[in-house]
Amino acid sequence: MRKWIALALVLLLGLSMTACGKEEGKYVCQQAVHPALDAATQGFQDALKEALGEDKVEFQLQNASGDANTCATIVNTFVSDEVSLIMANGSAALQAAATATADIPVLGTSVTEYGTALKIENFDGLVEGNVSGTSDLAPLDKQAAMVKEWFPEAKTVGLLYCSAEPNSQYQVEVVSRELEALGYQTAFYSFADTNDLAAVTEKCASESDVIYVPTDNAVANATGVIDGICRPAGVPIIAGESGICSGCGVAALSISYYDLGVATGKMAAKILTGEADISQMPIEYAANTSYVYNKEICDALGLTPPEGYTPIEK
Amino acid sequence: MTSFVNALPGAITQGLIWGIMAIGLYLTYQVLELSDLTVDGSFCTGGAVCVMVMLAGGNVWVAMGAAILAGMLAGAVTGFFHTKCGIPAILAGILTQLGLWSVNLAIMDMSATQRLDVNQHSLLVSLRFLKEVPKGDKPFYMYPVLVVCLATALVIGILYWFFGTEKGSAIRATGANAHMARAQGINTNVSKLLGLVISNGLVALSGALLCQYQGFAEINMGRGAIVIGLAAIIIGEVLFGRLFRNFGLKLMAVSLGSIVFYLVAQFVISVLNINTNYLKLFSALIVAVFLAVPYWQKNLRPRKASKEVPNAGN
Repeated sequence: MRKWIALALVLLLGLSMTACGKEEGKYVCQQAVHPALDAATQGFQDALKEALGEDKVEFQLQNASGDANTCATIVNTFVSDEVSLIMANGSAALQAAATATADIPVLGTSVTEYGTALKIENFDGLVEGNVSGTSDLAPLDKQAAMVKEWFPEAKTVGLLYCSAEPNSQYQVEVVSRELEALGYQTAFYSFADTNDLAAVTEKCASESDVIYVPTDNAVANATGVIDGICRPAGVPIIAGESGICSGCGVAALSISYYDLGVATGKMAAKILTGEADISQMPIEYAANTSYVYNKEICDALGLTPPEGYTPIEK
Repeated sequence: MTSFVNALPGAITQGLIWGIMAIGLYLTYQVLELSDLTVDGSFCTGGAVCVMVMLAGGNVWVAMGAAILAGMLAGAVTGFFHTKCGIPAILAGILTQLGLWSVNLAIMDMSATQRLDVNQHSLLVSLRFLKEVPKGDKPFYMYPVLVVCLATALVIGILYWFFGTEKGSAIRATGANAHMARAQGINTNVSKLLGLVISNGLVALSGALLCQYQGFAEINMGRGAIVIGLAAIIIGEVLFGRLFRNFGLKLMAVSLGSIVFYLVAQFVISVLNINTNYLKLFSALIVAVFLAVPYWQKNLRPRKASKEVPNAGN
């Protein structure tokens, strides 16, 4: 038995020799593989390279593949390497990074509501300490107004979201209040994971005139299922972001995750050059929003988009 | 390699925390020979209860006590399904685990993650203390490795004592030979129920420690716990099975197995610089290798084995 273990150890050590020699750099912990999160990471890297020079900055990208516990392992590596900055992409990544260090600057992105994610009461946009970042929240009141713009005749709006998503709950609650102020009846339809998604969507589609889905990673990964149920049922969906809209929605108020990543990268550049102090930097939001629609689904449902909407390019 | 060495304390702490969960699993899987899948749910229950009690103003000891009780309750439910409703243990565990999703969500106030801020609460362990103690900001006795080591020693000590008492011996007898145990007048159903209760209490304690360590509880935090637990048990057995015969030492082997598992995971991230998206594949391979080693050993030495049983049948 001992021989086997020794052999296994030697193999691992042999491999390690070739992989050594890492320099200091800026490290990214991403929560899961997901087109929106990937785009934000890309934007961050591009912006930082441009601001500081290609050869001046080194990235280490680690992805937790949706497993929040892995975030702790990754963050432990970064902190013990004493990196100069951590970019945390996603809520769990941010929570783990903010727990792990009080000194290394931590920038979050793709986090919808920092007050909720970091449990800050009376959150005013400034996290303080070593944490700041960018939020992927598209203005929710404008999203509610979109429902009115597209479907003034509708009566009931179903809010479909994943109960495992920390930010979705917040979004649907705010949107629900906004919609009720506009005279709609709203109902919540939450699913636990993709296994009960189909059943919940069926129920939601049969009881609603219009469906709203927030920026929700679980929905983003399962738009095919939702489209397969809602399109035949003739129920249109207003989506929280363009990625979901291109899969199953009719229209969305879009923010670009790439731009969000770029904004985060610019913040990082300011922190690293000493131009700004992270404890004084408030959370930034997406600078540009645009109204988009899904031509294919609009045609199938016989809907004509109002003015000011551009079709989503696929 | 320095990166790996620097990250060692974090990896060891994480290994020890999961080790307590693995010890719980050992009690059902090895001692009682029951496959209990409740752990994936009760692990999160422990974390959720701990965070919510602390957010409500409870101190860390009360929170952990409540977490253990909640885990025990979950174990009792599985025990009830199994012994009173005649549901096979593996199914009973799956049912409880499934139901716990909703329960856990309800505990966490219908939010998928709850943050436990290390700045606002006095926690027993935190990722942050790994850096703060060596710097002198926190006293030495708050060093996470030390704290979790003591917790593990305490758990092993109590279990060693308990499994030497009449009740504890009855549980062991039930696992070793249920028919014989019944013939000796042991109520095997009570033993199984008790075993499940203790096991899930430990699993919840581990969840409570992990949520403090990483600074948040998350609805998916228990997902895959059973795999990590089994890995720890098997690694511990393969590495230390020949040395450790005593019950207490066997429990220690499980904890050491868990540390080895996390060291390998950290090694894969820090030294091999492997894309963390492949971490799960590596975890599976690690467990597969450790499962295969005893089998290979047996096949490589067929002669010795035949010598050990001369004329066995006569």
